[in-house]
Amino acid sequence: MQEVIIAINPGSTSIRMALFNWDEVISEETVSHPIDELAVFDNVADQFDLRMKNVNSWLAGQNLEENKVVAIAGRGAPLRPLEEGVYAINQRMLADLRSMRYSNHASNLGAIIADHLSKRFNVPAVIVEPVTIDNFTDFARVSGVLGIERRCRSHALNIKEVGRREAKKHGKTIRDSNYVVAHMGGGISVAAMKKGLIVDVNDALLGMGPFSPNRAGALPIGPLVHLAYSGKYTEKSLTTMLSRESGLQAYLGETDVRKVEERIAAGDEKAALYYDAMIYQIAKEIGYCAAVLKGRLDGILLTGGMAKSKRLTGALREYVSFLGEVVVHAGEYEMSALAAGAIKVLKGEETPKEY
Amino acid sequence: MDQVVIVINPGSTSTKMALFCGEKRLAQEAVSHPADELRVFENVADQFNLRMKNIDDWLTAQGIEQKKVVAVAGRGARLRPLKSGIYRINENMLNDLRTMRYSNHAGNLGAIIADHLGRRYNVPAIIVDPITLDDFPEIAKISGVPEIERVCRSHALNIREVSRLEAQKLGKKLEQCNFVTVHMGGGISVAAVAHGRIVDVNDALLGMGPFSVERAGAVPIGALVKMAFSGKYTEQQLIHKLSHESGLKGYLGENDLRKVEQMIDDGDEKAALYYGAMIYQIAREICAMTVVLKGRFERIILTGGMAKSERLVAALKEYIAFLGDIAVVPGEFEMEALAAGAVRVLDGSETPNDY
Repeated sequence: MQEVIIAINPGSTSIRMALFNWDEVISEETVSHPIDELAVFDNVADQFDLRMKNVNSWLAGQNLEENKVVAIAGRGAPLRPLEEGVYAINQRMLADLRSMRYSNHASNLGAIIADHLSKRFNVPAVIVEPVTIDNFTDFARVSGVLGIERRCRSHALNIKEVGRREAKKHGKTIRDSNYVVAHMGGGISVAAMKKGLIVDVNDALLGMGPFSPNRAGALPIGPLVHLAYSGKYTEKSLTTMLSRESGLQAYLGETDVRKVEERIAAGDEKAALYYDAMIYQIAKEIGYCAAVLKGRLDGILLTGGMAKSKRLTGALREYVSFLGEVVVHAGEYEMSALAAGAIKVLKGEETPKEY
Repeated sequence: MDQVVIVINPGSTSTKMALFCGEKRLAQEAVSHPADELRVFENVADQFNLRMKNIDDWLTAQGIEQKKVVAVAGRGARLRPLKSGIYRINENMLNDLRTMRYSNHAGNLGAIIADHLGRRYNVPAIIVDPITLDDFPEIAKISGVPEIERVCRSHALNIREVSRLEAQKLGKKLEQCNFVTVHMGGGISVAAVAHGRIVDVNDALLGMGPFSVERAGAVPIGALVKMAFSGKYTEQQLIHKLSHESGLKGYLGENDLRKVEQMIDDGDEKAALYYGAMIYQIAREICAMTVVLKGRFERIILTGGMAKSERLVAALKEYIAFLGDIAVVPGEFEMEALAAGAVRVLDGSETPNDY
């Protein structure tokens, strides 16, 4: 049997797993977890046993020869601000993840599960381009309010992979290209990527930028403050509202853009209005990033699940094509980006950084 | 005998008055009112007698008896959202202003005083482009959270006047052109002006957009919510901080742009950082507004007091020059805009609306 890299990518309600023979995918599976089973855990890290059961039963069905596993790559969660690249999983990282030091997101389990499997198979485990790789310029960090800093958090794994692939198409590398990349999934990250580095991005979770299927983006600050003091919310309930119950979910009771598009096709004008408003905000955010790059960009790359929608990418093109060539990379390349990170380490092209 | 338009623009601690003959300014004066004299009045409208005395003294000094008054134009206050344009002052409007229905700002006196003078001289009395307009298409009103609506609040009077003048230079009417017009004063409004309508603008007071010399613009929402629930601020204190103690004032303790530039010249790196960050945010907002116009605009217009700074304009141009032509129109033209509105009513080129 071939040499195998195991890639693990936990999401909030599912886990994606894949086996790669180097850069070739052998097998890939997404297992959903019933929400009520997950909801009992306050700390995502405590879902470990539950999730491992699914991981193990999937692995058991893969005819895996244990001695052929050469590396494990896990999705990187929000950690402290980091340089780009591949990171070895160490005790400090695991402690930060288990104690929810920077977030309580499902991706915390990426490194925890990868570490567990690495011990079982006795092979190296890494995380690749975690959410908090941070190459903000000093200007980008300034919010306008002392005590509040803008943070560099993004779907970096896919954003950088999309940039790499696009550059390669033109016989270039990410290091000699500038892109605006819009990753459009449950959260939306619009990044200015200068020579491969994310120098500005909206921060899709409780940051700024466009609203998404269920998250709020930037909001008028006066009304937001008013809401906070209205007595209707606790800090936790307002944060939950802004991070899970806003956007299309709040306006239309729907987060699945395919269903929203079905409603639009059936003549639902309200659905069309809010869907178009989301697109409008994404387009404006792309504008922000084009200015950050001073207009010197090699393309505007649209990626993530929503980039599969022709209606959405068509409308975005109408807004922003004057700024540069719009290229669609529908879906995402997270699993192969994880494998690619492990491969670089195995080949000795990159030394994993210590957290 | 000179045919004159009287222009009245009340601010919180002073009243600006001018006499225009057509487009020509015959006289202008700003009278300050001692703050303790004004403070005794809870309702701004009750300052009427006090302010009128100053105005009458000034008008007499200008030899108003020897002139023929043909119209009076007052600054428009916050009213219900209106389409941009000129409004006849009627009882409805005066009632809303006297009862502080939408605000209790000195601007309320603009229409009240203009109405009084209009009756005295038996000539039309108008207001032009009040602060809160109803020019947004539905799509721009949507924030991402149903409880919060984006509003078209801006330095509309100056923005539309400067845009109109720029259109004239192009041999066109305002209604035939698109501009991104940037008013940079104590607050910063970046407006997409499509065929004369402000179809999107950041809302410089507790809205979104760039921070200014003393105001916050958009900030990461999670961090703002945290601040609101920190127990360190009452709602009023936080609102005050965001509208008066943020931006350059918050970071550097200084809200005078010239002084900040002096600090930079003296080698203050912190001043250079925050000054640069403000320009960075203005540039981002400008590019976003060009996206709103889908790249179809005649030029970008920089106006307001800060546009007098060559350093600021040059730094801004570095980011946005790729977008197209940039016109710099330093200062503000509110008095001219009010007079010009009256002239358009008198010569029949624009019909005033009813409130």
